[in-house]
Amino acid sequence: MKNAVTLDERRAALFQAGAEVSRKVSSILDPERLLSETVDVICDEFGFYYAGVFLVDETNEWAVLHAGRGKPGAAMLAEGHRLRINGPSMIGAATGRADALIALDVGEEPVHFKNPHLPNTRSEMALPLKVGDKVIGALTVQSVEEAAFSDDDITALQAMADQLAIAIDNSRLYDRVYNLLDQLSRRTRLLQAAAHVGRDVTSILDLDELLNNAVDIICDAYDFYYAGVFLVDGADSAGSSGEWAVLRAGRGEAGAAMLAVEHKLKVGGHSMIGTAVAQRKARIALDVGEEPVHFKNPYLPSTRSEMALPLIVRDDVIGAVTVQSVEEAAFSDYDITSLQAMADQLAVAINNARLLKELESAHAELVRTKTFEAIATATIEAIHWIGNKALPISASVGLLRGDLERLSVADPDLVESMREDLAMIDDSARLIVSVQEHLIGPAREEKPRPTMVDDVVKDAAVAMDIPVDIISYTVAPDLPLVVADTTQLSRAFGYVLENALEAMTGADEQHIAVDVAPTDDGGFVAVRIADTGPGIPEEKLDKIWATFYTTKGAQHAGLGLSACLQILKQIDGRVSAVNLPAGGAMIELLIPAFDGSLPTGKLPTAKSILLIDDDDAWSRFVEAALTAAGNTVTRSEGRVDPVTFDLVLVDDMLEAGNSQTVLKQLSTAGEGHKTLVVVSSLRVERVMELMQLGVRDVLLKPYTTAELAKVVA
Amino acid sequence: MTEETRILLVDDEKLVRRSMEKTLLRAGLDVETAESAGVGLSMFKDAQKNDEPFDIAILDLNMPNLEGQEDSDAGLKLLSVLLEVDADLPIVVLTAFDDVARAKEAVARGAHAYFVKGREAGLLEIVNNIINE
Repeated sequence: MKNAVTLDERRAALFQAGAEVSRKVSSILDPERLLSETVDVICDEFGFYYAGVFLVDETNEWAVLHAGRGKPGAAMLAEGHRLRINGPSMIGAATGRADALIALDVGEEPVHFKNPHLPNTRSEMALPLKVGDKVIGALTVQSVEEAAFSDDDITALQAMADQLAIAIDNSRLYDRVYNLLDQLSRRTRLLQAAAHVGRDVTSILDLDELLNNAVDIICDAYDFYYAGVFLVDGADSAGSSGEWAVLRAGRGEAGAAMLAVEHKLKVGGHSMIGTAVAQRKARIALDVGEEPVHFKNPYLPSTRSEMALPLIVRDDVIGAVTVQSVEEAAFSDYDITSLQAMADQLAVAINNARLLKELESAHAELVRTKTFEAIATATIEAIHWIGNKALPISASVGLLRGDLERLSVADPDLVESMREDLAMIDDSARLIVSVQEHLIGPAREEKPRPTMVDDVVKDAAVAMDIPVDIISYTVAPDLPLVVADTTQLSRAFGYVLENALEAMTGADEQHIAVDVAPTDDGGFVAVRIADTGPGIPEEKLDKIWATFYTTKGAQHAGLGLSACLQILKQIDGRVSAVNLPAGGAMIELLIPAFDGSLPTGKLPTAKSILLIDDDDAWSRFVEAALTAAGNTVTRSEGRVDPVTFDLVLVDDMLEAGNSQTVLKQLSTAGEGHKTLVVVSSLRVERVMELMQLGVRDVLLKPYTTAELAKVVA
Repeated sequence: MTEETRILLVDDEKLVRRSMEKTLLRAGLDVETAESAGVGLSMFKDAQKNDEPFDIAILDLNMPNLEGQEDSDAGLKLLSVLLEVDADLPIVVLTAFDDVARAKEAVARGAHAYFVKGREAGLLEIVNNIINE
């Protein structure tokens, strides 16, 4: 009876201890803390020597020790102590069979593993931890007393173990839910940031402003160390070459430094940006040093994680955005979706700004054209009329000046004042006349023909008396002919050269560099005229082509460049202006290349011909053509003895000046009737001067054999 | 030439005509003006008849022709007719800055000198050169 009472009391005490364990551990949600506290509570409440909790691993092959009492526990945890399920250990058996086992007087129990960390164990009980039918682990409790446990104790301790199993399961579930929530909240945060970036960037319509602000908006929204936007070259204009991803905006000083060195990365190269663009996929590099595709960027030494996201609009990759963090492993694959959402928003915003820019420039182009057309068609008659009416003004001013000479003794101050007024009237009259000429000139009927454009530009410079030491020419070899009316083209070059000369007034260095070369596609010959002036203010680059627009003050009618534009438009050419990085402005004229077959003509034969010209492309052409036809051609750059020649051909524009001296010699020698003067531009005054020197004729310079045949016929 | 050099000025632009007339008058020249090729030709012929022939003719190239119609070649036609009447008559033509072909034609037909409208400097010089030849 005493034994029975004792048994009941012991069972009650065990239940009591079990309940106490359950109460103490059920509120712990962190799984590791739950287990480590459990072993202590069990030992304290039951007075055991040792307790340990094993959990079944993912493979279902091992029971792995997750908590153990005291130093032995810590040592075994450090060793990664584990026991095979169904293996020859009590834990192995308990987890394998889902039943509790007791071993008493331990040395004699065959299933017990003699554990060197627990030398004092004399009794052990292994209790499966079960949730429903599933064994999630096992609990071992050990005592230094021999025969410390009886079968009757199993029920009480298993009840405690069952409670423990539920608590473990709950905490794991909590952990999983917590992780899930954590992930969800990160994704929500990233998507919110994406929405924020999207909202902020789509409201900016100016492309440059958008790019500059986007990197700050991204860094602020995500708390990134750095962000940079690359655009595939040409992506913000037509004619993308797509070879490079060019940095267009970068955060902070690092960004400014990289922009200053025009940082760019090869599309399809080894950089993350290059790869992201080429593969149209986001790329992540963590602990950056070890990622093979990462470009070790000296401007961003603190980067430990980087993500490169392609900027895709419909099917086009227009660039990529890089985001960088100072934290290692700052990005996971889960982040790609939300950050790509941000990049997609940015891509749309960039595309919109780009389209708007294109639309604006198309609109500006339209305005330019329409402005000129309106003036050139509707107003030209009026201007012509006004111009004609202004013609006598200067003559009248001249008369009044003469009258004033006689008055000057009477009242010198009044006369001086009147003289000033007359000067103003005279200037105004001349301006009106010059406007008339600028406007009517380009409107004149065109006679396009195959033309040596380099010859025309040189002649234009000579006609303007531009000193040879301030102008230089670079002409590509084998330059194709262009198609243009040479008088008009010469006028266009004249306007551009005049513009360059005026821009350089007062500049320390005065030089005009003329470069003539075919465009890559061969469709045009580009004539680029660069000066060393102060350049054109950026905001005015588009306006200089508008009629009556001038950057040079009221004394200029502002018609030269607009007339130039009109002339180029008439021949399906193009003209544009840029400022050069080294200073100065460059105007580029694209003139359509001649792509037909050249007309031929029958040249005279067996004539003796004197050709007076500089040694240039045109004179070489004429000499070769006439010689090939069986004529004797003598070249001279000035001195003449024409008596022995049948024909004298003179280029009016000689680098040393015009041909006046030579022609006077010819005229004096009575050889004018043999003399043909050729010009690339027919200007009435010069033609009349030449005609009056007694030459046979003044003709447009022939640039083809057919034209040459007509000239020398 | 005589002291009283007689000049016939033919231009349909009234102001241009008057302006040039004044310039020439002040230089002490005897100037008569006509506003069309037809009027100019009859004045020229009358002057010859009255034994007061003109010594120099200054002709605009673009004005009403001998039949009174607007004709871009009226000046050229008048030039030829005048030279038929008096082959040695020095003729100065007024040309527009952009009318190279007609200016060349005028010289080819025998014009002595030319004068570009709007670039008046030198009109007197041209006339004086002719007088002093």
